[in-house]
Amino acid sequence: MRGKAWALVALALAMAMLVPAVAGAEDKVVKIGALYPMTGRAGLYGLDSVAAAEMAIAEINGKGGVKGYKLELISTDSQAKPDYSVQVAKRYITSDNVHFLFGVVSSGVGLALTEVSKQYKKIFIGTDHASTQLTVDKLQPYYFRVSNNTFQSMAAGALDLKERQKAKPWQTIAYIGPDYAYGHDQWNELKYNLDRFGVKYKVVGEYWPKLAAPDYTAFITSIIKDKPDILISGLWGGDTVAFIKQALPYGLFQKTLFCSPDAGGNYEVMSATGDELALGLVLSARHHNNWPGTEANKKFVSDFFKKTGRYPSYSAEGAYAGVYAIAQAVEKVGNPDDAEALVKAFEGMKLKLPEDPDGFTSYIDPLTHQIVQVQAIGETVANKDFPPATRMLGNWKIYKAQEILPPPEYLKEHGSDYLKGRMK
Amino acid sequence: MEAASDKKALLFWGLFLVVFALVPISRNDYYLAMANRILVWGMFAVAFNMLFGVTGMLSFGQALFFGLGGYGVGLMVKYLGQAWFLAGLGAGVAAAAVVAYLLGYLVIRVSGVFFTILTLAFGQLAWQITFRWYRVTGGDDGIQGLVPTGILGDHIVYYYFCLILVACSVWFLKRLSASPQGLILRCVRQNPARVRFLGRRVRRNQRRIYVISSVFAALAGGLMAGVDNSIHTNMLNWTTSGEVILMSVLGGIHQFFGPFIGAAVIKVIEDVVGARTEYWSLIIGLVMMTMVLLFPRGLVGEWVSFKARMRSGGARKEGV
Repeated sequence: MRGKAWALVALALAMAMLVPAVAGAEDKVVKIGALYPMTGRAGLYGLDSVAAAEMAIAEINGKGGVKGYKLELISTDSQAKPDYSVQVAKRYITSDNVHFLFGVVSSGVGLALTEVSKQYKKIFIGTDHASTQLTVDKLQPYYFRVSNNTFQSMAAGALDLKERQKAKPWQTIAYIGPDYAYGHDQWNELKYNLDRFGVKYKVVGEYWPKLAAPDYTAFITSIIKDKPDILISGLWGGDTVAFIKQALPYGLFQKTLFCSPDAGGNYEVMSATGDELALGLVLSARHHNNWPGTEANKKFVSDFFKKTGRYPSYSAEGAYAGVYAIAQAVEKVGNPDDAEALVKAFEGMKLKLPEDPDGFTSYIDPLTHQIVQVQAIGETVANKDFPPATRMLGNWKIYKAQEILPPPEYLKEHGSDYLKGRMK
Repeated sequence: MEAASDKKALLFWGLFLVVFALVPISRNDYYLAMANRILVWGMFAVAFNMLFGVTGMLSFGQALFFGLGGYGVGLMVKYLGQAWFLAGLGAGVAAAAVVAYLLGYLVIRVSGVFFTILTLAFGQLAWQITFRWYRVTGGDDGIQGLVPTGILGDHIVYYYFCLILVACSVWFLKRLSASPQGLILRCVRQNPARVRFLGRRVRRNQRRIYVISSVFAALAGGLMAGVDNSIHTNMLNWTTSGEVILMSVLGGIHQFFGPFIGAAVIKVIEDVVGARTEYWSLIIGLVMMTMVLLFPRGLVGEWVSFKARMRSGGARKEGV
């Protein structure tokens, strides 16, 4: 019995040795080291991001690459764990010799990796995590983000609320969001922006369910009791889905206007709720499958569908944008090795993306390294163009990129030493 | 016999130190980071096993102390500045000693599975506090920028700093394990009633080793903060406690160095397999299953018995 067991181990070892070293023998490559959660709650965000990044890479390499370099993506499941992600990022830098760190859905992981990026002077392209801290409080020279942060979406939300107040006066507001940093950040930033735009409001309730809470009934009944005119939601993914499904029988959406400007309008929510998604909810996300109606956006969505058999959630476009940003920077500098020159190339870079409406081109703010984009907020309407969803967003309101950026006084108050130094 | 085993121990220690001391010569940052991780987790696992393998107390809450060490450094640096890195390391360790001493009075009243559940409960309590008290701890955002000042800021110097601390700690624990105190701890595991008959106090000895093990867990947590340059609430989550149990079982809980080897193997699998597939936790699961079903004595335990069998020409009876 024992001897057999040892033989088994020997066999396993021998097999492990037979696994060929599949290191690509390409001579000139731009290596991108991606970290996304591929399993678990945020797994869909990672799968969509990697699929979209691969799509962008195939497009670029299909046209001959950049300056003689082919792009190559290596990807590891971050499991949304910061300590493990740091370990992987260090491996990427010291053993795989990547030129760029890339990705990340969780802001906690993003914050840990921006520290690694700073230590090793390796450029980190953020494609999905939304914490404003990364481009303000913790900004460091080698970090760039190619999707909107929570400050931008909350500023757009505040502007939307301001317009609504003019059209149909509302007074009271309440907030529900997951009880961790992302949830609290959104609420603080929304209040900051409401004050900044001179909106008068009274807070009648704050509700802090746990992340991935299964049951929202207690919160829903308190919201109904507190009677806010507006309910802001900072929930994301499955939490938004669960909340909407559970609130529906209580008629919550007739009693209060549900508004979720950061992640509530993700396609994931529409496809998971189907007919149960109430009409007239005010939602947004960092990318929409049906806005803008430009050729570029239509092509992006249909290419993604062809590749994966599903429509993309917003994280996909962020990853797609990240790859194009890298390609553009390498094109300008001529090689992927000169980090300092690449930083210069990213600063102020103009990048035409699927989510840009006609007449606008996204650009990376040279000061904060944050991409500046238009934000569109919509209302849920019946629309069966993107099954299994039966609701999509419509009745769009568009907020100009410049209006939703953090103002200089915010940057002065919260900015990292690096950012403050550059503001002088 | 004595002299031979002394010589062997000396050889082992020499080899251990030389191998780890030579890692920076490779000039490969990847190996350096990996070795650093193995050292720190290895110490954590060995300290944990003093509690589990030696004294028979399965704590499912050692993440509490690992996290305390990390947050000692993190909070000090966050609020007082980078120069406080080492002070934070000390503060975390001291805090762990105090917390373990006080907590010891609560959790060591019970034994067996009740002890395990209580430690788990306190660990999760600490995790929840850190996670939710985001104004102070940064919550789920964690704390970044934990770089020691002065020469310790250099990766290689910091690595040697860890190596020295880990070597001293492991040496201390080894001495403790081999001392009369260690013998009492083993007796506590095997037959607490008899320990009482011998006039020794069971709970006092349990509390003592609980505090010692926790102090080294905190030291590991503090050192880890410097390796990653950031900390996160995950450090305090039960998964961390679970990981250190896996390491011990994999390496062999009845061998002093077993957990250290277990830590090394798990960290290497995590990295090497993780690079190829997102299902690396499945591989760890399979490895654990194989170990528990076929080699219950753990890697080191099986190696020792394998050697013993070779020496006696395979004539030894199975299961000794």
